Amino acid sequence: MTEGVHPTRLQLFLGMQQVALSSFGGGLSAWSERIVVEDRQWMSKEEFITGLTVARLFPGPNQINMAVYIGSRFHGLAGAIAALCGILLLPFSLLLLLGLGYFYLHETLAVDRVLAGVITASAGMALSMGFKIAGAYNRDPVALLLAACSFIAMSVFHVRLVPLVLIAGPLAMAWYWPRTEQR
Amino acid sequence: MSPLLASLSTTVCQPVSLGDWRNLLAVIWDFLSLSLFSLGGGNTLLSEYHHLAVDQYCWLSSRQFADIYALAEAAPGPSSMIVGLLGMGAAVKEGPLWGVLSGLAAEAAILLPSTLVMVAAALSWNRLRNSPWRVAFERGLGPITLGILFAVGLKILRISDHDTPAYAVSLVVCVLMLRTKISPLWFMAVAGLMGGLGLVNR
Repeated sequence: MTEGVHPTRLQLFLGMQQVALSSFGGGLSAWSERIVVEDRQWMSKEEFITGLTVARLFPGPNQINMAVYIGSRFHGLAGAIAALCGILLLPFSLLLLLGLGYFYLHETLAVDRVLAGVITASAGMALSMGFKIAGAYNRDPVALLLAACSFIAMSVFHVRLVPLVLIAGPLAMAWYWPRTEQR
Repeated sequence: MSPLLASLSTTVCQPVSLGDWRNLLAVIWDFLSLSLFSLGGGNTLLSEYHHLAVDQYCWLSSRQFADIYALAEAAPGPSSMIVGLLGMGAAVKEGPLWGVLSGLAAEAAILLPSTLVMVAAALSWNRLRNSPWRVAFERGLGPITLGILFAVGLKILRISDHDTPAYAVSLVVCVLMLRTKISPLWFMAVAGLMGGLGLVNR
């Protein structure tokens, strides 16, 4: 961080806004790397990848966490908020406009019929989320058991997320606590 | 085509009014307290959002929730911004301005706690990275997240699809999402066209 460019809060805001704008067809993470690492040279590639690891590990949406990580590296909480506003301002404003359109028009027959189709695609996308990360666990029977129990608790017994995580989380953490001989 | 208002008349509960400040505080508290349970990039919260907005507070019907989820997925930017649309759904009956303000409040509430934690994590990562807590958290919460994501996927599937053609489209999209790199926007565009032509119905 010492050798790279040190952005101001305004530059953080504008840079993240550029990330948001560039990624208006998808690929947010790739755009973020190109702009932050290559164009503006705020961070080295290694630092950026560390940031992604931290962003995925901690609670919160990954891309938003990544913006918070970048901002807070330079200006703490103020930088985090500048970066957060930068990445959210345009997409969130657009989404609220779409939302207003939806709430005022969704009872129109044509809109409703198109949406009836679109939701089948988004349901397929939602279904793919689990399968996407399942491969990482298929050699660990305990992990699969934990996943199966969490799934059954939620889908069959309608256990809510918060109690589920508060009960299963500590048990799983105790099981996976690093033992000295492993390290 | 079923009557559009049918889904509204089947809901039994009454929408909670946010005009009463105690209700408003309760709602903000709900989002604040969910924030730190947003594992796996935020998608683990989707069934909680459904529970809050449809079952508990009755801001939306289940089919509106499915619509809003699709809208958030299709729009550019992080799909976790769906919280803004939930907030909007809670207050849009009072007028567009209240809808927008409520959407902003909901989004701010869901992001605030996780942002504070993330700032602390970014600033102390060098100490955290080799801590046993970090290792246990990452390895232990991963499988739980996996189970929750399957449950969430199934839940969205159930509220979105009601007949065989709809389920078939969803399954095809799911397989294509896993096997190809085609942009999801194409799937939504084609499925939307199928809906418009009456090939897929609610």
